[in-house]
Amino acid sequence: MRKQRPSYIVIGGGLAGLAATMKLCEDKAKVTLVSYQPVKRSHSVCAQGGINAAIDTKGEGDSPEMHFYDTVKGGDFLANQPLVRDMCHQAPAIIRLMDRLGVAFNRTPEGHLEFRRFGGTLYSRTAFAGATTGQQLLYALDEQVRRYEHDGQVKKLEWHEYLSAVLDSENICRGAVLHDLRTGEIFTVKGDAVVLATGGPSQVYGKTTGSTVCNGVATTSAYLQGAKYANGEFIQVHPTAIPGQDKLRLMSESARGEGGRIWVPKKANDSRDPLTIPEEERYYFLEENHPRFGNLVPRDVASREIHDVVYNKKLGVGGQAMVYLDLTHQSAGFLEHRLGGILDIYSKFTGEDPKKVPMKIFPAVHYSMGGIWTDYEDDGNGLIDHQSPRNQMTSIQGLYAAGECDYQFHGANRLGANSLLSCIYTGLMMGPGLISYSQNLRAHFEDVPSTVFDQARDQWQERMQGFRQMNGKENPYVLHQDMGNILLANVLIVRENSKLEKALTEINDLETRFKDVQCLDTTHWSNPAPSMIQQLHCQIQLAKIITRGALIRNEFRGAHYKPEFDLNQPKDFDPHEYVEYIEKKQYGEIQEEEFPSGHVAYMKRFEECNERWLKTTIAEHKNNQPEISFEEVNTSLVQPRPRKYD
Amino acid sequence: MPDDKIIRLKIKRQDQPDTKPYWQEIELPHKPRANVISCLMDIQMNPVTRDGQKVTPVVWECNCLEEVCGSCTMVINGKVRQSCTALVDALPQPIVLEPMSKFPMVRDLQVDRTRMFENLKKVKAWVHIDGTYDIGEGPVIPEKQRAKAYLLSECMTCGCCLEACPQFTKDNDFMGASTFSQVRLFNMHPTGAMESEERLETIMGEGGIADCGNAQSCVEVCPKKIPLTESIAEVGGETTLQLLKNLLLK
Amino acid sequence: MGTITKGQAHFLLLKIHSLTGLVPIGVFLIIHLLINSLRTVGVLPYQWSIDVINNLPFLIWIEVFFIYIPLLFHSFMGFYIAWGGEKNLFRYPNPRNWMYTLQRVTGGVAFLFLAYHMGTTVAPKLWYGHHLFEAAPFLIDVMNQEFATWTGRIIYLVGILSVTFHFANGLWGFCVSWGIIVGPKAQRNASIVFMLFGGVLMVLGFATVLEFSLHPVNVEPTFKGTF
Repeated sequence: MRKQRPSYIVIGGGLAGLAATMKLCEDKAKVTLVSYQPVKRSHSVCAQGGINAAIDTKGEGDSPEMHFYDTVKGGDFLANQPLVRDMCHQAPAIIRLMDRLGVAFNRTPEGHLEFRRFGGTLYSRTAFAGATTGQQLLYALDEQVRRYEHDGQVKKLEWHEYLSAVLDSENICRGAVLHDLRTGEIFTVKGDAVVLATGGPSQVYGKTTGSTVCNGVATTSAYLQGAKYANGEFIQVHPTAIPGQDKLRLMSESARGEGGRIWVPKKANDSRDPLTIPEEERYYFLEENHPRFGNLVPRDVASREIHDVVYNKKLGVGGQAMVYLDLTHQSAGFLEHRLGGILDIYSKFTGEDPKKVPMKIFPAVHYSMGGIWTDYEDDGNGLIDHQSPRNQMTSIQGLYAAGECDYQFHGANRLGANSLLSCIYTGLMMGPGLISYSQNLRAHFEDVPSTVFDQARDQWQERMQGFRQMNGKENPYVLHQDMGNILLANVLIVRENSKLEKALTEINDLETRFKDVQCLDTTHWSNPAPSMIQQLHCQIQLAKIITRGALIRNEFRGAHYKPEFDLNQPKDFDPHEYVEYIEKKQYGEIQEEEFPSGHVAYMKRFEECNERWLKTTIAEHKNNQPEISFEEVNTSLVQPRPRKYD
Repeated sequence: MPDDKIIRLKIKRQDQPDTKPYWQEIELPHKPRANVISCLMDIQMNPVTRDGQKVTPVVWECNCLEEVCGSCTMVINGKVRQSCTALVDALPQPIVLEPMSKFPMVRDLQVDRTRMFENLKKVKAWVHIDGTYDIGEGPVIPEKQRAKAYLLSECMTCGCCLEACPQFTKDNDFMGASTFSQVRLFNMHPTGAMESEERLETIMGEGGIADCGNAQSCVEVCPKKIPLTESIAEVGGETTLQLLKNLLLK
Repeated sequence: MGTITKGQAHFLLLKIHSLTGLVPIGVFLIIHLLINSLRTVGVLPYQWSIDVINNLPFLIWIEVFFIYIPLLFHSFMGFYIAWGGEKNLFRYPNPRNWMYTLQRVTGGVAFLFLAYHMGTTVAPKLWYGHHLFEAAPFLIDVMNQEFATWTGRIIYLVGILSVTFHFANGLWGFCVSWGIIVGPKAQRNASIVFMLFGGVLMVLGFATVLEFSLHPVNVEPTFKGTF
């Protein structure tokens, strides 16, 4: 019997990392928590909207099963269903737990949890805490982890960077190589398992709604060590963000909900004050193209329309990538009451009052549905066996992942208020599996020869020294910006194979330029320059994963829109027809007349498309390029069918 | 999209905690909607001073850039604030950037705010629960009380209140407004209140609440508009009662 | 209660400092200024009041325990408090920071003033042994001399201003730090009320100074029989 308590290394202190740490500590484990910065500053704080759980407090008939259905449907059926279902069934317990932890969730008059409606569902299932739900949830978990830190179970290594996993001769993860961002020291820590909870990769795109630490480097490092990366091409774009020089900040969907109208001047490069442009010279393109939904079309549709107006019709405001989101027709009092806090964000960062001048907005990269590939084990009843050490394990044994950096749960498109849920869920759910993984290990890290750790450390010391000594002509920050621009121009809302091929060439060129990078700072104290180069190196690899995945996937699914492969759903099509079609097919041939005209042909196209493409994209690092293969998706619980929101 | 205007920055830099600080002046092309952070990012892409000298990029701290993470606090034109909301067009030039003066220096505009997090540990700024297993909903809380708690729990440990506080210095151990406000927050929660006595005893010691001098600069500079002075008074009242309890009932 | 830690002692000392400012020092200040202002009503009531005080039993012990020791404690703690911290009024000139800074400045001024004031009144009184009915004529004579010159008058005007401000603002600080006045609106209103109160005390003091300056009067000791 091993005397030592099980010990783990958690990388990242956002919702997933903190939830995992809390859960592991509760099971008497010791945790080393690694983060670029104090964990309280993690990107989870940026989430505004809320967190979903089908508790059905309003008698609407909501249930975890409905939540499950909405989520897989929202994700265009690309998610493994038992995991999604388990998450949705755990959601109410998660909300109750967070409530007990003291999260300031908004309340009903009786003092119970209040829920509101959010995109992609008909039920009020989103709990929220003011306009900063993510911040409030993160703080609650941060507090719990601080308690365990106070008790000595958690050791925080803030201002540290994860460089890679330490793999032994059998390719089992035995620890991590870390980089102290202040002293520059590179060292290893040992553990039974390493959990990556390192968030999304949005910095690969340069300016996005992500935080500066959302760089996707840790998962790419795992990929470079042989882990599988999945569904990289599925990147969610939010239609309304506030352009800025340093980042793109979200403008909530509620601005359109309260009557905001999106338009551009009909004349290109019109330099007039927007308020002086008469109605007939304004192009309200969403209202004109979607008379029923108008400005409230779903996120992906709105993003595509804005993209079209700016890049194809060249009608961006002032010739730039911006359109107007106009609320000036509403009274100041109304706006203050309904949207006060949200409009404050706009004025705070632009210096303009949206009650008086139309806001200028543009879509922005927001979330990555894809991420490092992780495993799970279902219990045979369409839920997850929580004791299984396979849950959330990457393809490297002993290396786990949780939160936005894994690829599960959201399929091809994420629904609002599901990201906070998936982060906390994965963090909590993986706990028992991690413990049983430790218990069932034949040999522990104590038994691994110390040369394994020394070698890993020495390799990285040499590597970082190499980056530090780079003395070429290229500024790495400029290179990073150029890489972002390549992806923004070619791998964003509307994807065309010719452009994707061009992007791949450009990324390869960038990789060549990378060899000529200059390390701008060669000092040895709190110097971010060598790290930045190492991060850029990883990001270039990640850019290739995303772009190659997008190039190969020849279909239109969720956030991955290739107009060339649009199946052209008939306008009067009802998704239930497809379920009927599949049922009938089992009993024999389908007669064309049984369905409205054109529908059978469409359903056949849909079926063929799913046959070919309803699969997880897997990227593996081979010969410095991502090698793409495909893996079946578990659709055992709900029959995939065409999506339609009306 | 640069126009013909120029942004002038004067930045206080320091290579190491024990070396001398020095000033650098940098000029950048003006861009619409630029803020202090975007300027620092521009410097990374071309780190050259006004007199053409090539230098290392400025080191600073930032993350969310939306004023919810608390990272990017610095002293801008003499006042402490978040640099992400410091819009260039709203600032007189040259824009003077300095690190916070009340925390140990790391490098350039980066300081070490560990003391704030240590204080949170000292006052047990958490709700101690039995465990994470599903034992039902939390306590019923009136919406009004929830709204008050929400205001307090928006504190992002940015340190503005402490930088502006005349009682908080590098050498003393005053806990400061943010910590007292967190004590109030957790004493307010029905479950958190079970540990309120321990919290109060902690702040009834050296560096505790009695050291507050009520200069109230904290509330003036708080980027989240947290009612810090109200928290101090309220927690002050709680300590008064605790003091009486200690004197009379124990 | 058991043993007291260093931190608890620190807290208690600060609390006692805050409390002594109100009781007994503040209370004494109010009585002192009120009684002195009897001078504006007439010499006789003023003289009688001095007689009453100086004929109190155990006077010296009352003075030592209710005035001198608390005052010394309050002063030394005050200097200790003012010594800590870094004034930053220049960077953050908000109204309360002004009050914070002024509280420290006026505390220092008040200490100097009281040292002077007690040096010219209490010290010679004790030194020459002017007790009982001898005190009043002696003290009134001292005051006449004090207010004969502009230097003396200015010392007293500045002193009274500092003391009354320090007391009024200190009273506000007491109410806030002991948690009697909590909300921002209540704090604002209270500071107005306390400042008005301090103003009244200041006027009382100024009126006495004015009266002494304009009408210096020599008095003889009161006979025991008239008392």
